[in-house]
Formats: sequence, C-alpha cells, structure tokens
Amino acid sequence: MKFFLLIVRNVRRNLTRSIFTSLATMVLVCVVTLVWSILFLLDEITREKSQNLKAIVTERWQVPSHMPFAYAQSLSEGAARQPDDIRPTDSMTWQFFGGTLDPAKRTFENFLFAFAMEPKKLATMMDELEDLTGAQAAELQENIHKLERQRNAMLVGRERLIKINKKIGDTITIYGLNYPDINLEFQIVGTFPPGRYDANTVMNRDYLNDAVDNYARTHNGKAHSMANKSLNIVWLRVSSKSAFSKVAQQVTQSPSFSSPAVKCETLSSGISSFLEAYRDLIWGMRWLLCPAILVTLSLVISNAISISVRERRMEMAVLKVLGFRPSQLLLLVLGEALLIGVFSGMVSAGATWYVVNEMIGGVKFPIGFIPSFFIPVNAIWWGLGIGTFTALAGSIMPAWSARTVKVAEVFSKVA
Amino acid sequence: MPARFLPPLLAAVMSAESSTVLLVAALACMLVLALVGKIPLGYNLRNLTVRWRTTLLTALAFTLVVGLMIVMLAFVDGMYKLTEDSGQPGNVMVLSDGATDELFSNLGFTDIGDIERQPRVRRNAAGQPICSREVYLVVNQQVIGPSGETLQRRFTQVRGVEDPLMAAEAHGLDLFPGGAWFCASGVQALPGAAGTAAGQQAIQAVLGEGIADQLGPDLGKPRLEVGDVFDLGPRKWIVVGLLRSAGSTFGSEVWAKRGLIGPMFGKDAFSSLVLRTDDAANAKALSQDLNNNFKKAALFAQPETEYFSKLSETNRQFLVAIIFVTVFMSLGGVCGVMNTMFAAISQRTKDIGVMRILGFARWQLLVSFFLESLVIALIGGALGCSLGYLVDGLKSTSIISSGQGGGKSVTLELIVSPETLMFGLLMALGMGALGAVLPCLAAMRVRPLESLR
Repeated sequence: MKFFLLIVRNVRRNLTRSIFTSLATMVLVCVVTLVWSILFLLDEITREKSQNLKAIVTERWQVPSHMPFAYAQSLSEGAARQPDDIRPTDSMTWQFFGGTLDPAKRTFENFLFAFAMEPKKLATMMDELEDLTGAQAAELQENIHKLERQRNAMLVGRERLIKINKKIGDTITIYGLNYPDINLEFQIVGTFPPGRYDANTVMNRDYLNDAVDNYARTHNGKAHSMANKSLNIVWLRVSSKSAFSKVAQQVTQSPSFSSPAVKCETLSSGISSFLEAYRDLIWGMRWLLCPAILVTLSLVISNAISISVRERRMEMAVLKVLGFRPSQLLLLVLGEALLIGVFSGMVSAGATWYVVNEMIGGVKFPIGFIPSFFIPVNAIWWGLGIGTFTALAGSIMPAWSARTVKVAEVFSKVA
Repeated sequence: MPARFLPPLLAAVMSAESSTVLLVAALACMLVLALVGKIPLGYNLRNLTVRWRTTLLTALAFTLVVGLMIVMLAFVDGMYKLTEDSGQPGNVMVLSDGATDELFSNLGFTDIGDIERQPRVRRNAAGQPICSREVYLVVNQQVIGPSGETLQRRFTQVRGVEDPLMAAEAHGLDLFPGGAWFCASGVQALPGAAGTAAGQQAIQAVLGEGIADQLGPDLGKPRLEVGDVFDLGPRKWIVVGLLRSAGSTFGSEVWAKRGLIGPMFGKDAFSSLVLRTDDAANAKALSQDLNNNFKKAALFAQPETEYFSKLSETNRQFLVAIIFVTVFMSLGGVCGVMNTMFAAISQRTKDIGVMRILGFARWQLLVSFFLESLVIALIGGALGCSLGYLVDGLKSTSIISSGQGGGKSVTLELIVSPETLMFGLLMALGMGALGAVLPCLAAMRVRPLESLR
C-alpha cells in the first residue's frame, strides 16, 4: 500500500506533465476505441456461427437480387419436397420499396426506403430486435400488431423521422422510384428502439404486393415492370451448419428456381461479399491506423516517463542507498506509467462509450448497409488494455534505466 | 483535393496556393526571427542534440501523425481523382426517371428510340450521332479455389455496350496495343475448342486495368492479359482487350456485348445512354432540354461530370473521418511536445537565468524556445512526409457512392500531391507551435536571480 501511495505521490509531483500525458492517452484511446468498435461489429457480423444461423437466399448472379414473389413460399420452406428434407426453423422475405415524398423535389431528405416484410418477423428474425426484453419488446409487439392490423402502417427509425421532418401519427405518400407509378400512402404508427434501426423503415409486404397486383387491373392488364421480380431476399433460420448445408443443397438443386437461378449462403458469407469492396480500407484501419496510434501513444508516454526518470536520477540513487532494490525502482517507474495509462484509458473508453452511444446516437460512418456504429460495452476493457499495454511499452526502457542507476556515478557528479 | 468538399477555413488552408504561402511564410518567419532577433539559436540546437533521445521521441510522434495523415489523404485524393476524371465535360448521362444510380436505372428500348437525334448531340466523322447505349450490371462472381470450392464472392461490375467503338468515343477511352474490341457476335470459340458445341463459346470481354489486376490472382498471375479466360456468371469469358482506363471508374469494369449479357443476367433494358455534345455548356443545356421537353418517357438527364461528382459522398464521409482522426492524433502530439518543452525549460531554468543576465530580452527567450519546438516539429513532419510519400502510386480498392444506395467498387491509385505534403508540414509546424506556447510563456517569466539561487 505504501508503495502504491509513493507511486500516486510521484504522479502528483509534476501535475502538469501527468495531465498532459493523461490527455494524450485519453484522445488517442478515444480514436482507437472508435476504430476498434467499427472493426468489432464488422467482425461480429461476418463471423460464422455454428448453431442457430441464418441463411440468405438471393438471385445467383445479379446484384441487387430480384426474384419472382412466386419463389417466396417454397424458399421459405427451404425448398423441402421430400419427407426427409430439412425445413428451416423460421424464415422471412425481404422486398424493398423506395421512393420520394415529394416528386418535384427529390432530395436525399425526401427519400424513404422501406423494407417490406411480414410484420411478425420483426420480432423473430431481425438482429437485435429478436433479443429485446421488457418494455422495448412490448413496444415492438404493439407496433407489429399495428402493422398487421393496418396495411398502410409504417415504422420509421428515429433518425429518419427527423430527416423527413415527420412524427408518429403523420400520414405520408411515397412516390415509388424503384416501383415506377406505384404511389403508396402510409401512416407512421411507430418507431424502433434507439440504435441499429434508427435510419430504417418497415412496411407490411402485403400492402406492396397488393399494389403491384392491382397495377395490371388499372393498366389494361399490363403487369408492372417489377411484377415478376419483387422478391429481393429470403432469410432462413437453420439449427446447425449441417442443416444449412442440406437446406442450401435443396435450394440450389431445386428445379423450381432456375429462371433466375438462386444461391444460398450463410448470412455472414453474404455480408462478407458486400464488404469485399472495403477490404483495403478495413485492412488499413486494422493494421495501419490502430498500430500507428498505439505507437504514437507509447512514444508520448515513453517521452514523459524518460524525462521524469532523467530528472530524478539523484532521487533514484538516494532510494537505492535507503535500501530500495533495483526491481522496486523498476516497479516504481512502471507503476507511475501504468497508473496514468490505466486510469486515462478507462476514463477515455468509458467517456467515448457514453458520448457516442447515449449522446450522439452512434458513429455515423456508413460502411455497406450499416449506417452507424455503436461502442460495445467491452470497450471499457479495451481502454484498460490499451492504457496498460502502451504504458508498459512506453515505460519499460525508462524503468530499466531507473533500475540501473549507479549510485557512485550519480553522487560523484554531484560532488 | 477539391476545396469545395471541405469546411471553408480548412479548404482555404488546404488549397495548393495558400498551403505554399503559409508554409513559406512560416519558414521565413522562423528564419527572420533567428537572424534578426539575435536569438541564441546555436544554444537551442545544441540542446536538441544533447537531449537527443527526447528530441527523437517527440519528433517520432510528429512523424507518425503526419505520415498517417498523408496516407489517409492520399487514399481520399485517389478517390476524388476517380470521380472527377471519369466524366467527360461534354457528355450527358441519361437515366430512367428517379434513378439515383446506373444500377437502378431501367430505360425501355422503345422509350429512347430517337433520343440521339437531339440537335445538340455531336456527330462523329461518319456522321453518326455519338451516343452509347449501355447496360450496367453488378454480377456476383465466385472465386473458385484449386480444389473447386468457393473461396469467396466478389461483386464484379459489367458494362454491356451496343457498339464498342461508339462507347469508346463517347467515354474518350481506347485500348492498349495488342487488344481488340469485341466482334459483332460478341463471342468466340475457346482456345483449343474450335468447332465444338456452342456451350464452349466464350464471351469476348474488354477489361479495365483495375479489374484486370483484381482478377489476375484468380489465375495465379498479377494481371489478366489478352487471351486469358475467366469465369463470370454461367459462362466463360475471354479477354480480347485491355482498356486504357487508369484514373477512371471504367478501369474497374468488364465490358462486353450488351445483347449477350443483358438477357444473360436478366436485365432486358438499358441502364443509361451517354450522349456527347460539344462542351460542358451544351451538355447542361441538353440535359435541361431532355428533362423538360422529352415526353416519350420520363428521363433523368444530367451532365456526366455531375453524375460522377454526386458519387463523391463516400469520399466526403471518409474525409470527415480523416479530419477527425487527424485532429485527435494531433492533440496527442501537442500534449507530447508540451511535455518535452516544459521539461526542457524546467531543466534549463539556470541557463535561462544566465541568458537574462547576459542581456537577452524576455521575448528573445520566448522566440528561442518557440523555434526549438518548431525545429523538432519540422524534423518530425519532414520525416512523416517522406514516410507518407512512399504510398504514392500504390493501388487500393474502395467504393464510391452517392450515399443513396448503389455505388461502384473501384480500384484507385493513392496520390500524394505536393499540396498534401505541404499541408503535412504545416500541420506539424502548427502542432509544434501550439505545443510550445504555454512552455515558452513559462520560460519568459523565469526570474533571473531566483533561477540562479
């Protein structure tokens, strides 16, 4: 304890230097925390699960995927035809309806892009929404009922609501852009819990499909140009890797899905394909940016501790005379660096977590289809780890120098 | 980097002219102060060498911050160059109404029959209006391993054109020597498969430089060349030419016969029409004319340069992120230099006292320590610039988009421009100056007699 108090007193002795070193640690840990949060989420969503995994069925060759809605029923059952075929434990279809709120002013702010789906799948298939509990889960269920009861109901994310300057209860008309000449009126009945779905919009798929079907009736029997390609994606939930392999085989070998052909892959593999274009950027963030920041931080700490040790060579010599062992001097210097590094790292990571998640609603750095990133709660431990690692890396040489102070040499200079 | 994408103050600092002026002014000030102000510069420089470890550690922090910033800016500069150089000033790009990207555009065959007969459309030597009808697709390409397993999938961009010569003329592109455009049928027998079934016919493809580099490793070579065969979609493709397309988004595309690939990938419509006019003014006028007066179909026409400029949204987002990271890293560097300078001053209070007694004025001491900090910054900054310059010309992949879906995967070249280097040096000097202010003020306030006690 006395030893720890000595370390604390030493840190307080040159408060200006300690504050500047701490500030440098805080700003650099903040940047590393932000960058690692982005990499962490990308790693998470591209990590292959071994159980309870999602499979994604899309058009085999073209991006974006367009399939006939007639595929939906059979694909949702994993194209199971024989009694011993494996069926998915759950499934959902994705259709996309995008349009403008003002055909005369097609700005980004007036643009709304809705996922058309079966409302009940929001609670069972959507990442993070499926894990909601308590009041948030109850609110989501209530919104799902509204979507089911009222076909023109729509859920709009908080951020998107602000962008289009609307509120819950408002009625809007979306003039279709990817479905030309299909203009749909909606009532905004709810929103999503804050976080991942802040920029998203969800509608009932039946409303879109009815509009596509009705198009032919009002256009002399001429089907809408999207009538035969309104299904974009099908998600299947399977229990294991082996179940996935079997379902994928059933889907790709089924003669029902030949024009266009389809492919079945794990969700993480599908996302990896989307992220392929960002490969170099992600590599740079992981192997260039983060290491460079960590080295910079180590240099700053090393500089501060080196100066501190050089100023206190006499003191180190006196401590040795008083009976301090070299290893204790080493620990004393390392302890000072660690105290600053650990404290600053944790405070910085914690503050970054709070500010980003609670105050500004995520880091707005769109990669692929991910609009913003949140700081995982683990980041506080990252801060501790970064602080510890950089403090150790930066102080090991100065600490060794303190350990090897030669008493006779120091006192001879004084004399 | 185009200044219009930056906040006004930063744009002013980062423009080539103002960077040069500021840097020259800063260096001139340092020189004038050192020469005219009777500053004990030799004393400062000796201190830097005597405390070489501290000098080195501080300078290295500057090196890393500046070097990293230059690498990041080189990446964004490369992206901006792509979006700015891909469009021809005289070209008009016609998409279907409401489409924000070629990928989402569907122009019916009958809708656009006579569009190229618009009066402003330029004619070529043969008297034909210069108009390229194109289909743009993104194809999910499997990368197959040696034992036949799918290693990964990538999105490959494919452009189908009706008339390759017309398309090349419209886009201002040509082929490298040794290549040829695809023929009227757009297919040829695979090497060694002459006279065999139609299934062994390969689609003739012209590749951009970037995609040729990207596909090369699949066949175990650095780049695909004329005569190489690759798999894409359900067919084999044979390379018949390489596009001279570095620095444009077309460098990341596979070009082939539209009549073949449109139906093959299920796109039975055009994505875009590219019309050539005499100049940018005519392109703008034709765009407006088509948007307002073309009644046959709802179109969205815009100058091609404008279309590519809208694809800069990703660049802007990256730039904002870079500015954020750079500012934070700089703050770390500033704290580091403050530590160094405070330590330098506290270790030399006696020296300061002696110099005051010798007749040096307070401001001379302030300038003296200030210059010492700037020299460290300049050394570190120059090293960082040299380090950053090493990435100039390296290739990288990225994506450019308008932020409204779609976008293009591109292969770009990292560009370290002189203005980026100058900005790097300026930033280093700025960090050095900022970090030196407080310690130098402290040095100025040292009382000679007290310091010597």
